[in-house]
Amino acid sequence: MKKIIFTTVLCLFISSLGHSQSFKTEEGKATFYSKVPLHSFEGNSENLVGFIDLDEKTVDFYIDLETLDTGNGKRDKDMKLTLETKKYPFAEFFGKLVSDFDPESSAIQDVTVRGTFKIHGVEKEIEVEGTLQMKDNGLHVTAGWILSLLDYKIEPPQILFIKVDKEQEIKIDALLKPVDG
Amino acid sequence: MRKSIATLLFSFFMTSLVSAQLERKRANPDGPVAETFLTKNIAGLGTVQLLGKGDLNSMIQHNFGDVRGGIETFFGVDEGANVRIAFGYGLTDDLNIGIGRTSREDNIDFSIDYRILHQTKLDRIPVSVVLKGNTGIRTQKESFGLTFQERLNYLGSVMIARKFSDNFSFQVSPMVSHFNTVVKTKPDSELYNTVYGLGFAGRFKINERKSISFEYLPVIGDKITDTKNHAALVYELETGGHVFQMFFMSGRWFTEQHLLTRTETDFFEPNFRFGFNVNRVFGLL
Repeated sequence: MKKIIFTTVLCLFISSLGHSQSFKTEEGKATFYSKVPLHSFEGNSENLVGFIDLDEKTVDFYIDLETLDTGNGKRDKDMKLTLETKKYPFAEFFGKLVSDFDPESSAIQDVTVRGTFKIHGVEKEIEVEGTLQMKDNGLHVTAGWILSLLDYKIEPPQILFIKVDKEQEIKIDALLKPVDG
Repeated sequence: MRKSIATLLFSFFMTSLVSAQLERKRANPDGPVAETFLTKNIAGLGTVQLLGKGDLNSMIQHNFGDVRGGIETFFGVDEGANVRIAFGYGLTDDLNIGIGRTSREDNIDFSIDYRILHQTKLDRIPVSVVLKGNTGIRTQKESFGLTFQERLNYLGSVMIARKFSDNFSFQVSPMVSHFNTVVKTKPDSELYNTVYGLGFAGRFKINERKSISFEYLPVIGDKITDTKNHAALVYELETGGHVFQMFFMSGRWFTEQHLLTRTETDFFEPNFRFGFNVNRVFGLL
C-alpha cells in the first residue's frame, strides 16, 4: 500500500512539474465598445492578465477594472462608480478549452472556451469564441463576446454623464509567453 | 489507509485546481489618488484637481451683492451679478491651461497649472503639488487711459493638498499677487502692488455625488486698507456631466489675485454673498 501511495504522490508531483505547455501575460489588451448614437465610445486597458495551460486546457483571464481608460476622466469616474470597482475590482474568466487545438500548427485556429465570467460580483457561465495561434514567441489569443450589463446587475444611474449601451462588445487580444516549468 | 489515500488525492486535486487559477492582484496598488477635490475651483480658490488630457471644462461662476441688503435687495440678488466665464483644457494629465473673463473690470485672465507631484494611494508620494500661474488684464473702457502694462495683474500659487481619506481632503496654497497699478479710493488708503496670502481649502465628501467644501484666504503681511480675508462655504453637487457649486462667499471675485486685494466683506462678521458655479466637462479626444 505504501508503494501505491508513493507512486501516486510521485506521479502527481511529476505532473505538477510538467507545465511546459503553459503561457502567461500581464500586458494583454482588453477593449469594450459602447455603441449609442452620438455617445459611442470605447474603453481600453493594457493590463489584461492571462494564463493558459494547454495540458490542462484551462484558460484564466482577469483585469483590474480601474485600469480601463475611455479617454475622458469624467466618463472614467462614472464608469468606475457604475461598476463599483472599489467593491468589485476585477472582471475575471476561468474556464476550459472545449474545442481542439493543435499546438504544433502555426495557423490561426478557431477555438471555443466555456467557463465562468465574473464582474460586479455576479457570476455567469458563458461560452466564448476566439482564436489561438502558436507563434515563435508565444501563444496569440483573440476573443470577443457580448456582455449584457443587466445580466450582471450593472445598472448605470439615470443621471450619468454617459449614455451607455446595455449590450457591450468585449474584445481581448494578448500574446502569452511560455512559462518556464 | 484508503481514507488516507483519498485525503491525499483530494488535497493534490484541490492544490492543482487552486494553482491553475492566478492570484488576483491590483494592477497599480500605489497609483495616483483620484478626485482630491471635485473640480478645479472651489468657489474662487484653485485646487490641485486638474483636468485629464483632452478634457475641456466650461465654467460659469456667479455671485451677487451681500446678504445684508435684506429683503430690499432680495439678499443681494438685486444688486447684480459678477460673472466669470472660463474654459480650461487638459493638454496633458499634468498640464492644464485656461482662459476666463470676469464681468467686473472686464478682466480677461489666462491661467496655467502644472502638477509636479501626485499623491499615491500607498503614500509613496504623500501630497499632490500643483503650481499655478494666472495673468489678467483689465479691458473695460475706463482703463483705456492706462497702458497695456499698467492694466496687468498676476498670481503665482503653490497648491499643496492631501486626500486624507475617501471623505476628506485638505489643501494649503501659499500665493502672491501683483497688480501693476493700484488706485487709491480714499486719501489715507495704504496700497501695495504685491500682496501675499495663504489659502486653505477642505472638502468633506457626503457621498459620491455631494460634498461640503470651504476656502479661506487670509492675507499675510501688508494688507490694503479696508480689505478683509476672503472665505467661502460651498455645497457641491455632481449630476450627469455637471458639477454645481452653491456657496456663500465674502469675496466678490473669482480670481485669487482679486480675492486677496478686493475683498471688502468679512465672512465672520458675518457678511457674505450668495453665488454658484456650474462646471461641465467635455471629452475632446
